[in-house]
Amino acid sequence: MYRYDEFDAAVVRDRVAQFREQVARRLDGSLTEEEFTPLRLMNGLYLQLHAYMLRIAVPYGTLNSRQLRQLAMIADRWDRGYGHFTTRQNLQLNWPKLADVPDILDALAEVEMHCIQTSGNCIRNVTADHFAGVAADEIEDPRPTAELIRQWSTLHPEFSFLPRKFKIAVTGAARDRAAVAVHDIGLRIVRNEAGEVGYRVLVGGGLGRTPMIGKVIRDFLPRTELLAFLEAIMRVYNLEGRRDNKYKARIKILVHEIGTDAFIARVEEEYAKLDGPGVNADPAEVARIAAYFAPPAYETLPAVSQGFEAAKARDPDFARFAATNLFPHKIPGYTAITVSVKPIGAPPGDASSDQMRALADLAERYSADELRITHVQNVVLPHVKLDDVHALWSALVEAGLETPNAGLITDIIACPGMDYCALATARSIPIAQAIATRFADAERQALIGELGIKISGCINACGHHHVGVIGILGLDKAGVENYQITLGGDPGEQAALGQRLGPGIDAEAVPEAIERIVDTYLEIRSGADEAFIDTVRRVGLDPFRPALQPRESILEAA
Amino acid sequence: MIMSANALLDGAVVYYAPGGSWSPRLADAVVAATEAEAAALEVARAAAEARGEVVEPELSPVGTDEAGRLVPSHYRERIRALGPTIRRDLGPQARGEHAHVSL
Repeated sequence: MYRYDEFDAAVVRDRVAQFREQVARRLDGSLTEEEFTPLRLMNGLYLQLHAYMLRIAVPYGTLNSRQLRQLAMIADRWDRGYGHFTTRQNLQLNWPKLADVPDILDALAEVEMHCIQTSGNCIRNVTADHFAGVAADEIEDPRPTAELIRQWSTLHPEFSFLPRKFKIAVTGAARDRAAVAVHDIGLRIVRNEAGEVGYRVLVGGGLGRTPMIGKVIRDFLPRTELLAFLEAIMRVYNLEGRRDNKYKARIKILVHEIGTDAFIARVEEEYAKLDGPGVNADPAEVARIAAYFAPPAYETLPAVSQGFEAAKARDPDFARFAATNLFPHKIPGYTAITVSVKPIGAPPGDASSDQMRALADLAERYSADELRITHVQNVVLPHVKLDDVHALWSALVEAGLETPNAGLITDIIACPGMDYCALATARSIPIAQAIATRFADAERQALIGELGIKISGCINACGHHHVGVIGILGLDKAGVENYQITLGGDPGEQAALGQRLGPGIDAEAVPEAIERIVDTYLEIRSGADEAFIDTVRRVGLDPFRPALQPRESILEAA
Repeated sequence: MIMSANALLDGAVVYYAPGGSWSPRLADAVVAATEAEAAALEVARAAAEARGEVVEPELSPVGTDEAGRLVPSHYRERIRALGPTIRRDLGPQARGEHAHVSL
């Protein structure tokens, strides 16, 4: 894991001291709310429906046990004993008091954490594949790149007043688990024909009210040129991105309006003018950063663990967990475990402080002291010996974290929605709870197979509904919550935006509609190995459309 | 119409009450029943915003139930009056406030 150097530590401490003073000046009336709002947002402090909300950055989703224990302590001492993992691999606290926030930030700084770049029109917390460094299909760990970008972008004066917020994601694997095609900049670590490692650069992806898939603007960028090339992109955006209309200010609109070819020409022109060597990172510094992400000291183990196999044969509940929540590790005898923060019927991504401490203990004992927060709102223990999986699972059962649903229909992404969020037009979490409860049966979930439902409570799309195989968008239709369903979205390497199935439906009708969509899929799929997304690609939306009609009208038609 | 805002210290929902004070209880809210009263409430809103004693003061429509108790017209304001619908142990509902309000 990356460790702060003296500069990182000083920057964060200075920032907390500065904010402490700003809070005091707001409270004594020397700062107006209008003056204070941008200052609190720069420190991750939002105002929601019922309280303030503090968004804590978890760079590329990587945490150690000490950090997670500190988050649990903060949740207990200054909040309501729980936190919410978000689709940007961050953690949100929903009830902090304004006067306590400087103390919370100090407590975060003690464990090398902060809330910088979790809000505002800057380069936000960089996200990465949650199986970084362990995935068998990986060319290279994306986190050194993400950390390099974090250091370059943190409080970068030229990029502190962008036209709009700016999100970057990095993946180093063949399968894209970081949704890079729906980010302002998506980086894929690739190998060229000569065997050199570099980046494929995508720009202009995004969700929100105008969803777009990113365009490749460089098929292969040599790795040493990364920062100068990113700087060229940022300069073009900073100069030409629209500032007249908030809803047209993201880089995706610029790329769309001037066209990909013209955008590429502008970036290359800017890039040619830049002092590349002056901007690009010193290779020694890149190597210093990369060294922090060196893998733990793995033991030499057989690929098959007798103990693990015997436990699966003995215990069907454990076998089910092992079938869904384990991910192939690049080292024989090891696995990466997805701990589902989606117990059936619970708010997706909400973890209590006790659960955080339990996860911290398990990471320390079984996973080289490391955890990952996923954009799917789960937690990954990335370095677990197969020999230890059964003992770890038993501890998860005690903590109520053993739900065997990773990647299945009840592993639902949901934004906080109108239960918390001031921007929401409808609730998201109760919809997720109702769907999960309806599909609670683990055997049925396994039969349905991989299926990601994603729910957003407004068009800003924090719940990524556009790229859900089944996407659900909550809207306000004349004072009543109303939900639009889309099918066929894909956040991965074959990125696609879902298409609307039909008119919106009431909240109460959503679980039934989802059930009928799933029944239709089970009926028409070519076999158990044809995933939902592949069926939708093969047959289109038409066979699924009757699912939205009230059941009586279908019976009448028959 | 009534006026609500978030308290500066903890962000909790508060209602504009007689005498220019702020109350966590919906029942205390000043109700503007006529256009003239709504205009006066808007003047009070602008003044509260300028003074900065609360955050994001805004007007919203309200009705009454059979017992004459205030009920916000829109579900967003009903959720604000209660707290998160998924956590009944949090927000005003946890203190038994606004039990007559339902979604």
